[in-house]
Amino acid sequence: MILKTFIKEIKELSRESRVRLSLLIVLLLLGVAVFISSRQYQQVNTQYETATQSERANWDNQGEKNPHSAAHYGTYAFKPKYPLSLLDQGVDKYTGTSVFLEAHARNEARFSAAADQTGLARFGDLTPDFILLFLIPLLIILLGYNSFTKEREMGTLTLLKSQGISGWRWMLGKWMALFVPIFLIAFLLFLIAGFVLSGLQDFGAFSWKALFAMFAVYIVFYAVFINIVLIISASVKKSGISLVSALGIWILACLVVPKMATNIAQAKYPYPTAQEFAANILADKEKGLDGHNPWSEESKKLEKEMLEKYEVDSISQLPFNFDGYRMQKGEEHEAMVYFKHYNYLKEQYAKQTEVYQSMAAISPFLPARFLSMSIAHTDYETHWNFNDAAEQYRINTQKFLNDHFAENSKFGDWSWQADADFWKKLPAFKYEPSNLKQTLSQNNGNIVLLGGWLVLSFGILLFVVKIK
Amino acid sequence: MITTQNLTKKYGDHLALNKLNLTVAEGNIYCLLGANGAGKTTTINLLLGFVQPTSGSASINGIDVTTNSREAKKYLAYIPENLMLYPNLSAMENLDYFSGIAGKSLSKTQLKAFLAEAGLQNNAFEKRIATFSKGMRQKVGISIALAKDAKVLLLDEPTPGLDPSASNEFGLLLQRLKEKGVATLMATHDIFRAREVATHIGIMKDGQLKQQFVASEISLGDLENAYLKTMDYKNALP
Amino acid sequence: MLKYNFKYELKQLLRNRWIQLLSVLLLLLFGFATYNGLQKIEEREKVITAAKEETLRNDESMVMLLDSLDRGMEISVSPWRYPNNPMVVGNYYPRLAAMPSHNFTFIATGQSDMYSHYKKPAVSRSGFMEDYTEMTSPIQLLFGSFDLAFVIVYLLPLLIIAFSYDILSAEKESGSLRLLAAQPIRIENWVLQKLGLRFFWLSVLVILAMLVIFFIFGLNPFVSIKLLLGLIGITIVYMLFWFAVAFLVNVWVGSSARNAVSLLGFWIFFVLLIPSVLNQLGSSLYPMPSRALMINQIRTLQADATKRQDEILDNYLRDHPEYAINDSTQQRTFWHSYFASENLVRQELAPVLENYDLQLEKQQEWISYFKWISPAIITQESITKMAGTSTSDYGNFRKQVEGFSETWRNHFVPYLYNNRNFTKADVVKLPQFEYMALRPKFLSAFTILGIAVIFLALGLFIAIKNRNHLVLSNA
Repeated sequence: MILKTFIKEIKELSRESRVRLSLLIVLLLLGVAVFISSRQYQQVNTQYETATQSERANWDNQGEKNPHSAAHYGTYAFKPKYPLSLLDQGVDKYTGTSVFLEAHARNEARFSAAADQTGLARFGDLTPDFILLFLIPLLIILLGYNSFTKEREMGTLTLLKSQGISGWRWMLGKWMALFVPIFLIAFLLFLIAGFVLSGLQDFGAFSWKALFAMFAVYIVFYAVFINIVLIISASVKKSGISLVSALGIWILACLVVPKMATNIAQAKYPYPTAQEFAANILADKEKGLDGHNPWSEESKKLEKEMLEKYEVDSISQLPFNFDGYRMQKGEEHEAMVYFKHYNYLKEQYAKQTEVYQSMAAISPFLPARFLSMSIAHTDYETHWNFNDAAEQYRINTQKFLNDHFAENSKFGDWSWQADADFWKKLPAFKYEPSNLKQTLSQNNGNIVLLGGWLVLSFGILLFVVKIK
Repeated sequence: MITTQNLTKKYGDHLALNKLNLTVAEGNIYCLLGANGAGKTTTINLLLGFVQPTSGSASINGIDVTTNSREAKKYLAYIPENLMLYPNLSAMENLDYFSGIAGKSLSKTQLKAFLAEAGLQNNAFEKRIATFSKGMRQKVGISIALAKDAKVLLLDEPTPGLDPSASNEFGLLLQRLKEKGVATLMATHDIFRAREVATHIGIMKDGQLKQQFVASEISLGDLENAYLKTMDYKNALP
Repeated sequence: MLKYNFKYELKQLLRNRWIQLLSVLLLLLFGFATYNGLQKIEEREKVITAAKEETLRNDESMVMLLDSLDRGMEISVSPWRYPNNPMVVGNYYPRLAAMPSHNFTFIATGQSDMYSHYKKPAVSRSGFMEDYTEMTSPIQLLFGSFDLAFVIVYLLPLLIIAFSYDILSAEKESGSLRLLAAQPIRIENWVLQKLGLRFFWLSVLVILAMLVIFFIFGLNPFVSIKLLLGLIGITIVYMLFWFAVAFLVNVWVGSSARNAVSLLGFWIFFVLLIPSVLNQLGSSLYPMPSRALMINQIRTLQADATKRQDEILDNYLRDHPEYAINDSTQQRTFWHSYFASENLVRQELAPVLENYDLQLEKQQEWISYFKWISPAIITQESITKMAGTSTSDYGNFRKQVEGFSETWRNHFVPYLYNNRNFTKADVVKLPQFEYMALRPKFLSAFTILGIAVIFLALGLFIAIKNRNHLVLSNA
């Protein structure tokens, strides 16, 4: 019974020109999108390699220099692209890719791709995630909007009823007829992506497991959409109305709700502007120790503490260069200030995330979108983690430089220079994104939401078909 | 008056209508009988100018429909097989709209008069078409023909779906139009109704007019036999 | 025919509640979009006002400090923050360079969520590395904002599609079309009139809904009558374009379901695909040089300049003998060499940085060659330009700030090399920033009008050619 319905539905679908045409278009677009993305991916990563190496060379070849000059000279941390960004570009276009690491200041990642493009970039890109998230649901609608309504319109419904069909088996047959083609398209795409990625050189963190997890997310998302389309088709009388309602839901879920969510999130939990943020940090910084200012109250206090601790009369008698020590203490204070302010940002971000999750109750698109980005490491969380890692590296670098200065030079000797070889001892910046397990556990909320959609939509579908 | 001369329509290799010669004079009701695909609807579509003939000609009141179909339609009224009007508009409004776009503006009293003449009950004038039965919709269709002062009426399967009394009423309505001098061409399967209302009857098969009768000169039984014979029906009564 | 179509089309639209539904939808959509837009403006103005006030407060304290210094009194700030040092004024008492919003900025978020609306250029901050992007959640940038431009560019066409996809096919499917076609009328005219009337009513509803919403939110749109007309104009021609597409599909395709699918296909094509393909082609034809590599380049130059800073300063002074003559003290500080070497780096970097602007300009040019392919692009661009939030507006602001930045720096250079103190009398001579907005052009509406006419003509051609087909073909 399930199989019979399935075969009949597949036959009907394969004989419709609209189905063949739209399938063809979607496959063609997918091909183009994967091609463009893989080229871009390779290009960006080559640039990343060159930039990282050349920046490190700049650092290593500073020559003899005072460590604090080197701290001001600074270095850069660059963000690589991760393999699954081939499938989901996420927010990558809108996040900066390079962080300047210098003394006294935490800098924002800069040079996002979107800022280097025209306003057209805001329309979106022809990338696999666009097709996976927007076009395939649309394809589901085109395939399935008349699944039930056509039986009613052609009068075959009464005929079927007289044959004594069981509602849920019949429904399952129809469900499979929608699901199998979609499943195959997605499977094909992910398989190709997997082979492309494992074929690329220096593909680093690529894992088939993550690819599979992402595939699973999309399959669940499509199952939810199939359920919605079938629920509509089973509950309205005319194909036209079914089509229009399903499209309405698509627009709402994929376009309108995400935008509404951003407006609500930003209005309720706004970020400060870059200028305000900088001003607030400056104000807090000035309240504490400034490593460059030996005359400040804070500096005098620190001086007194040290003299008492080491039981000496003047700072030149300390066993280390107090200038370097003060620098480090100032650095630590500044790091704390940054930590505090960035934590505030993070809190706002966490609250915004809650808004997005609560909006997911009306749009299955949102949890799917967030999960997919997370697994691909193109989400905002990864960007945060990268920035935090860069900041940690900056703090460590400052300590490395200040300690060397404090331990090896005399107080007041600002002209002291470290060896040309010294710079090479600084460990290189490394950032590993969280692994799949961590990513998934961070996304518990989204997984529950998407799962909830699946269960709920199945339930409603069964209910709707049963009462027919 | 309707005349066709050697009217032929081919769809690819398929001959839908083969050299039809037909005349329906004023005050005549001509019934075309035939199975599905015999060419009845093609004939009507040709007369309406919806399709162009492959060869031959047809005219309405002397106006060639192949070259001047829009002019011909001024004298012509048509009631399709399943007459659908605008469900959200009332009978009055539908009549007003259809005669309006045909270039005739009518006053309210005139509209009411035409609807009454077509046999629609007074209390239905202002009701929306959505609530109407097929018979009532056909009456509105007739009122459109009346309002247009049509010289020619084309009917495509008007009777199926009508209950016997509505069907009877429809026959009477046709008689009244006939008395006004309207030439009516009616495509139908319904031999009984055809025999009853028609002045002339033609039997079509495979795009050809096989036989023609004057209705008053043939009995219902003979007509049925002739019809079945034309259709090659084996069990026809001798 | 028009008179009767007009009368009964309106009656039917009212009776099947299309007009009511559209009015409610339009009011809701415009209302929410306007609310969001205004909220953004309010936020922006608040921030700019706060920055302005801060500048004023700082200036007051600067004048007070200068006054005290003039009178030889002791002041409470650290010696290296004394405002009689011109470098202190140049760095710690910057002018506000703000890009204020105007009456119609709320209609499009455009790039306003990505870029800053004010800067305080200081002499020491290297203008070429200045970051003009704003701190925004990238998720917000990804999803975009629910603004009036979104409603007009994305949603209005969908409303039009729902409103007109079955104008002919519904009549065909219900059977009333045969009755109509039996009347002495041209059926293509009839379709055109029917669509025209729906276009007319939707336009009326759109304009009314916009005005009502504007008034509800306490805006007086007639203050900038030109922009209001521009906005309405571009919206109407954009709608006309979609009605023309609907006309083409109605006379060409056939059944209601197929019409809906085709129209949706057109929507995806014009609104989603063409913009992204054009953008991607533009950025691969005129690729931005790698920013990471640019950083390398700047860093190498800077490192080199630092190493040679004494030499650079000497060269600089040789090129500017007037400073050597006027300055009696011949005192040299950090700032002297800083300015000289920064000047050099700036000169050497100019071509590198120009390359970015050039590539962006080329991309923009490429798009302007081909944007007529999609009226959605033209409309979006026009609306953001009217709002003053387009890429070119922010580019313009950046250029002006860069210009002002240079003016500001140059203002202090003579003080520095002449080793002159900054005095109270010099306060009024400080250069001020005034933002000059770009003037939006309204010509693009004609391009869309042209495209709409082409679609209409194509539709009409097909309709006349297939006149009979229109009536007969079954779903």
